[in-house]
Amino acid sequence: MGFGIFIVITALLPFVIGQYYLYVVTQVMIYAIATLGLDVLYGRTGQLSLAHASFFGIGAYVAALSNTFGVPVVLQPVLVLGLAVIVGALVAIPTLRLSGLRLALVTLLFGELFVWLIDHASNLTGGSQGMTVQPLTLGPFDSSEPLDGYALAAIASLLATVMCVQLGKTQYGRRMLAVRDSELASASVGIPIVRTKIAAFILSAILAGAAGWIYAYVVGFVSPTTFDLFGSVNFLVAVILGGSGRVLGAWCGALYIVLVPEVFSSIGYPNLFPIVGGAVMIVVAMTIPRGLVGSLEKLGETLWAVRGRRGRAGG
Amino acid sequence: MPEVEPLSSMGGEGRLELRQIGVSFGGVAAVRDVSLVFRPHVITGLVGPNGAGKTTLLNAISGFASVERGTIELDRSELTKLPAAQRAHYGVVRGFQTVRLLEGETAFDNILVGCERASQPNIFAQLFNLPAQRRSWRRDRGAAAEIAERLGISSVAHRPVAELPFATRRLVELARILVVRPKVLLLDEPAAGLNAHGRRQLTETLQAYHAVSPFTMIVIEHDVDLVRRMCSECVALAQGSVIATGDPGHVLDDPEVRRAYFGDQVHHA
Ligand SMILES: Nc1ncnc2c1ncn2[C@@H]1O[C@H](COP(=O)(O)OP(=O)(O)OP(=O)(O)O)[C@@H](O)[C@H]1O
Ligand SMILES: [Mg+2]
Repeated sequence: MGFGIFIVITALLPFVIGQYYLYVVTQVMIYAIATLGLDVLYGRTGQLSLAHASFFGIGAYVAALSNTFGVPVVLQPVLVLGLAVIVGALVAIPTLRLSGLRLALVTLLFGELFVWLIDHASNLTGGSQGMTVQPLTLGPFDSSEPLDGYALAAIASLLATVMCVQLGKTQYGRRMLAVRDSELASASVGIPIVRTKIAAFILSAILAGAAGWIYAYVVGFVSPTTFDLFGSVNFLVAVILGGSGRVLGAWCGALYIVLVPEVFSSIGYPNLFPIVGGAVMIVVAMTIPRGLVGSLEKLGETLWAVRGRRGRAGG
Repeated sequence: MPEVEPLSSMGGEGRLELRQIGVSFGGVAAVRDVSLVFRPHVITGLVGPNGAGKTTLLNAISGFASVERGTIELDRSELTKLPAAQRAHYGVVRGFQTVRLLEGETAFDNILVGCERASQPNIFAQLFNLPAQRRSWRRDRGAAAEIAERLGISSVAHRPVAELPFATRRLVELARILVVRPKVLLLDEPAAGLNAHGRRQLTETLQAYHAVSPFTMIVIEHDVDLVRRMCSECVALAQGSVIATGDPGHVLDDPEVRRAYFGDQVHHA
């Protein structure tokens, strides 16, 4: 039913809101896909990654460079998928025996390497200046048209959401939660910990890569600053703020990391976002560790329990 | 990487044989030269004073401690070198001395985590909810519900485990390892931290379950009465070595066991 509501709202939105807001919603959808990816890795599997924006970047630069190399449209998603699987696995392997801060540091190293590569391949990528991305056209579809970009992001974000909801009902989904909460308990029932972590890395890389690919076509411009450490931290903020391990939480997080900078820009203080964002993050981490959606769920449960107790009054 | 095949079909009843097992930590022997045969479907109590090496022996059997010497054999398969997760696929499953649960999840989801020995479709079938996935999802939920029912925790199955009382949390953990369908179940002081009522409830539940779906079981327990009630065999360890085996009444009354057991420890049965 939730998906039905999503589809109806998505279909009606272009008739209700103007082009600028449609563009903002498109961004939210794109960021939601990537945030869902980090939620698989960090929220569900408990693997802290500071390289998520790099995977987003891999997808984006596939789009940006495809024109240069003449990669046909239909091959590009395959390329994004292949790169995400390979690079995801490559980043996963050195981190298998690490956790927490050490794990974060190794992923950070990879993130820095990615930005360094983009900067140093400046004849191809435009380096830190960035590069424009030729629109994606296929028949009547043109990604530079706001409505077309919106449709692409909507369909992709719906697919990603369906997949993540489904993941929660699978053995792999259960394995991820088990690995996050207790590797000992996981091993005791026969869960292959290494394979579970690699699968989480790859799945999160695929979602980030797909989001980045759409991002580049919709925005029409890429530069390494979008894919640096700050970008990765932003995704983490989205996951933690929205509520780890929750599909709806990833959407709330994406809404936050897209809308709030937008608000600061519109009032003329774009530089305030990192500061205010950091403060918000600290407050959230300290006061509601379950994140927004988790806390609302908890509130709902409590109200439900109170009602139940009233209903059974006298006992 | 190939999927680990569930080996329940490989036959065998759950006969566990240890031959001259030795485990040591930094040169200090915790288990020395232990040779034991655990017969299929029999519940064996493992007793001995603190530091006798009981937990270490269970760790060696389940793959959480590597053995220095000796072999571990289940039916006709050698497990000695296998990692813990693979031993679970052979049916050797353990519980922990401290309850380890997925705190953010419901009791039911905690139980589902144990559905690992049943064969599962590949990750694509899982993610795209193909028919094979729908079948295994139904089967796993059925298995978890059945175990919850048999352990008497169905009514709290939908509740987050963090909210449940300790005795119930123990049962949730037990359900999670029973849903694996163990051939050999290893329990480390399952009744620790429970009051008299909780202990009785746990033993009765476990015995009732075992009577219907038998498996080989080794239970570490300090509660002598519990061992007498629940176990039909008993092994006493002291300083890493076996000092007596046989009928629980016989072993627990053995003078050497009494000296090792109660000589340096307050009788708290
Ligand atoms: N990881 C370890 N590192 C070093 N020494 C250990 C380790 N685990 C156990 N030991 C030592 O091995 C010996 C046996 O310990 P073990 O935990 O197996 O005893 P136990 O019989 O389970 O005792 P208890 O009844 O207190 O649980 C002890 O001397 C203990 O100090
Ligand atoms: Mg012990």
